Amino acid sequence: MYDTSKTADGATEQMATKFHCADVQVFYGATHAIKDVNVDIQDKTVTAFIGPSGCGKSTFLRCLNRMNDTIDVARVEGTILLDGEDVYDARVDPVQLRAKVGMVFQKPNPFPKSIYENVAYGPKIHGMARTKGDLDELVERALRRAALWDEVKDRLDATGTGLSGGQQQRLCIARAVATEPEVLLMDEPASALDPIATSQIEELIDELRQNYAVVIVTHSMQQAARVSQKTAFFHLGNLVEYDDTSKIFTNPEDPRTESYITGRIG
Amino acid sequence: MQESPHISSVYDRDLEAIQASIMKMGGLVEAAILKAAKSLETRDEALAEEVRQGDLAIDTLEEQVNDEAARVIALRAPTAVDLRVVLSVMKIAANLERIGDLSKNMAKRTGVLIQMQTIPGAPAALRRMAREVELMLKDALDAYIQRDEDLAHDVINRDADLDQMYNAIFREFLTFMMEDPRNITACMHLHFIAKNIERMGDHVTSIAEQVIFLVSGEAPRERRPKADKTSYDPDLAPGADEAGD
Repeated sequence: MYDTSKTADGATEQMATKFHCADVQVFYGATHAIKDVNVDIQDKTVTAFIGPSGCGKSTFLRCLNRMNDTIDVARVEGTILLDGEDVYDARVDPVQLRAKVGMVFQKPNPFPKSIYENVAYGPKIHGMARTKGDLDELVERALRRAALWDEVKDRLDATGTGLSGGQQQRLCIARAVATEPEVLLMDEPASALDPIATSQIEELIDELRQNYAVVIVTHSMQQAARVSQKTAFFHLGNLVEYDDTSKIFTNPEDPRTESYITGRIG
Repeated sequence: MQESPHISSVYDRDLEAIQASIMKMGGLVEAAILKAAKSLETRDEALAEEVRQGDLAIDTLEEQVNDEAARVIALRAPTAVDLRVVLSVMKIAANLERIGDLSKNMAKRTGVLIQMQTIPGAPAALRRMAREVELMLKDALDAYIQRDEDLAHDVINRDADLDQMYNAIFREFLTFMMEDPRNITACMHLHFIAKNIERMGDHVTSIAEQVIFLVSGEAPRERRPKADKTSYDPDLAPGADEAGD
């Protein structure tokens, strides 16, 4: 149903479905946090999840790479298929899944190690590099992709936590892309950053779209409008509306979406 | 203005202020149309002068609306219905300003026409036309305030009546000019006035279309009825209508 996306110039692009989600429910103990969510997330597209605090957007995002497994009381029901494969199948190794579906968090959280080690860690544990040369190449590619290489290439041994907030976040993005994921989940990736660093992250997200499906949770509606091609609006655990971003921000179908994006309900 | 209030009440006040400016502008423009037509019929030079002077206030309000709209766009980044409010007020302000100019032009021609022999029936017919367009404008602005899409469609449909009135006046003036070439100067001025009013109808139609855009989020798609045939219908050319009338 939602299989087309409008590019900035108005052309309609057909993108393959990356995630197919049907009747997804999430419970935290007795709390029904996500109710009957049906959505198809497209490849090579930035999809934004927006909605007021507590609406379930982060919870839903975390379903996509089974981050909710780490919460004891959380229970996920329904179907989530990544390229047709059930993410919640008992045979799926969550660690392998998270290598394919990378994640970047709100607060930059580099390991207390060198910049190089931060990026090299993932490829190492997944056995992606056989020689030191291979690994160097991988680290450089990831840092370039995260638009950080030029700033850190002369101090790869410096500690990652010594970078500025914006640089740390780009380091986390480099770390996430180092394992060659297919999908990048971003939970408020720029909310702790200043406007310049935010612009750099947004520019980066647009570039990442060439290679990945990107799903971003954001409280900034302007950010959602700027970076995404598709927008999903969540409210009280329901997916209220999912459509082209340009449609959501100019002429949404649902009055709840309209009220939220125009600043009438929180 | 039936949208529920924003969490930020200052935002509401900003949007209301712009819309209040539009309504004020609309009131001045309605008055200008009626006064211009009245001054023509009653040969009232003072009233015509009042219309000519009054155009400045309308122009100033348009600038004010545009400034306020630009400020809201810059500071609030409006979306959805708020964005449509801002976009529509800018267009409506431009349409009102044009109608104001056309009224001023009527008043200018009135100043000249007062010096000439009157053309019987013409000022009264033009005043009827002006009253019609003023009513359409009033309804278009009411439709805006009440977010009434149906009323806006009604206004758009009524433009055809105005075009019919213009066609009739056009033919009448041709007859007068053929009868006596000394009528030509006055008839030319009167014809321009009729054309001005007909153009006002187009601007009012455009305002009504903005109302539809504001309410529905989409500009009206259907072709609006057009009945002004004077630019291409040879039946309206001199000498072509002997058999008819």
